[in-house]
Amino acid sequence: MSSQRSFEPCASEADIISTVEFNHTGELLATGDKGGRVVIFQREPESKNAPHSQGEYDVYSTFQSHEPEFDYLKSLEIEEKINKIKWLPQQNAAHSLLSTNDKTIKLWKITERDKRPEGYNLKDEEGKLKDLSTVTSLQVPVLKPMDLMVEVSPRRVFANGHTYHINSISVNSDCETYMSADDLRINLWHLAITDRSFNIVDIKPANMEDLTEVITASEFHPHHCNLFVYSSSKGSLRLCDMRAAALCDKHSKLFEEPEDPSNRSFFSEIISSVSDVKFSHSGRYMLTRDYLTVKVWDLNMEARPIETYQVHDYLRSKLCSLYENDCIFDKFECAWNGSDSVIMTGAYNNFFRMFDRNTKRDVTLEASRESSKPRAVLKPRRVCVGGKRRRDDISVDSLDFTKKILHTAWHPAENIIAIAATNNLYIFQDKVNSEMH
Amino acid sequence: MEFKLEAHRIVSISLGKIYNSRGQRGGIKLHKNLLVSLVLRSARQVYLSDPCPGLYLAGSPVPPPQPGEPAAGPPAGWGEPPPPAARAAWPEPETPPERPAGPDARRAVDAEPAAPGAGDTLQGGEEPAGGAAAEEEEMETGNVANLISIFGSSFSGLLRKSPAGGREEAEAEESGPEAAEPGQICCDQPVLRDINPWSTAIVAF
Repeated sequence: MSSQRSFEPCASEADIISTVEFNHTGELLATGDKGGRVVIFQREPESKNAPHSQGEYDVYSTFQSHEPEFDYLKSLEIEEKINKIKWLPQQNAAHSLLSTNDKTIKLWKITERDKRPEGYNLKDEEGKLKDLSTVTSLQVPVLKPMDLMVEVSPRRVFANGHTYHINSISVNSDCETYMSADDLRINLWHLAITDRSFNIVDIKPANMEDLTEVITASEFHPHHCNLFVYSSSKGSLRLCDMRAAALCDKHSKLFEEPEDPSNRSFFSEIISSVSDVKFSHSGRYMLTRDYLTVKVWDLNMEARPIETYQVHDYLRSKLCSLYENDCIFDKFECAWNGSDSVIMTGAYNNFFRMFDRNTKRDVTLEASRESSKPRAVLKPRRVCVGGKRRRDDISVDSLDFTKKILHTAWHPAENIIAIAATNNLYIFQDKVNSEMH
Repeated sequence: MEFKLEAHRIVSISLGKIYNSRGQRGGIKLHKNLLVSLVLRSARQVYLSDPCPGLYLAGSPVPPPQPGEPAAGPPAGWGEPPPPAARAAWPEPETPPERPAGPDARRAVDAEPAAPGAGDTLQGGEEPAGGAAAEEEEMETGNVANLISIFGSSFSGLLRKSPAGGREEAEAEESGPEAAEPGQICCDQPVLRDINPWSTAIVAF
């Protein structure tokens, strides 16, 4: 893997990246941060003139998506942090994306302007009205090229749909609807209609004291517009079919792995909570992330995952400390590569892990300044857990738990990955193996 | 014994988390609080089921009472925190005992987080006001131990006897030399089965 770019850090908390998402072609990469801003990067087309800078990502547009709000009824501040961004499939020259904070989803349209009309009859170059006595002939305004301007405008605001905090949004393959999920409910929206949504899942108990689990993530199936999955804090996945009923409280399939009794501890329930769920590009599998593992599930088998990969099992003996410092509540995301052969997820100390499903090999890499000088090759890292210690190994006790990689994204077609490390974005490209295997 | 210590510590930490979550920007995170309340419940179960009872961390070593024998009054180990603290942590029920867990346990959680901040007053002036941080923390864990012991003694009292008899039993254990008030005990068999009062931290929603 060769590194390509990193960005200057700013000290403030508002710059902490909270979500990363490639669009469907991989040409654009959107990031959202805690300050409510969205930054879009665009991949420069590869040019023969500068072969070394082929395919690098540059800033394309920056805009303020959400502002902090205050709910006067509940005396609560609503954070402006962008929880999720999802791109809409491109249907014309414009790009569209959905961005959401805890309560409100917004549809943004991104358009380019690279020409402007010149030669107005009634206005001069600065736009001031001309003195009519100076106009002696009519001219047809002509479109002249100008410096590229990227314009972003909010086209829809989907507000007041959620009582609890929104954790996921997912665009349906029908390109007309999308869903948003909070802790207890999932709503279905039409992209063109903002004043109402349909509630399709509601797990709020009649008596809140009976609450035992919450929704943690949800996603539409990539091909079947009637199917979606949602994960719970108990570690289960529910596949629901919207054709079966208006309210999909009864799942079509329940994916759950029985707990290993030998691993029981005070914190068993916390570490089994699923923090992210992603369908494979093929639609045949699902990938889930809980605190210590990533699991691959086959849609045809509900009893247990078909593959389980340990992300950082050496933390299992440290759960109490991680509970004390709140790290045990960190929600890591996971990602598939374009061919569904490799899965990736983040960890601590700015490490991220990749697992090759075919060769069963895994690697730990680090997103750091040192490793990301241009054209530097990423060196595999190793965490030693006692026993023989090699030269560059990191011991478990010297891991930096403030440096966590929660958000990662994989280009839909190529071996390009985007890693968010607190307030830095790293983009790594595998130039050697740029095609998917 | 170390399980009990560990469980006690985890209960302390968990209560602190629930308390701190109230001031968080963006409102209480339901998911996190649910997980914390599950940990709290697990820790509490371990604390109560540990066969080595009667530990008050700040007090001097006292021979712990056997769980089987009905105590004449709260043993010295329990009794260090003065009754005012116990009373503050133990809410008075307004609803009939059939379903007391809701409002009472909610108040229990409300009262408990208030304890660390108001530790000085609750202790009835036994500790010097504005004591060192270590002392405040001691009071905090003392309140936790007290709260657990109250729940524990009441529940185990009910387990041993029929509801009517158990009531008297639990009253005697809990209030000691003080006159037991009718209705003091807010727990009942159905609630005991749930062992659910901690999770009412999320009733705020």
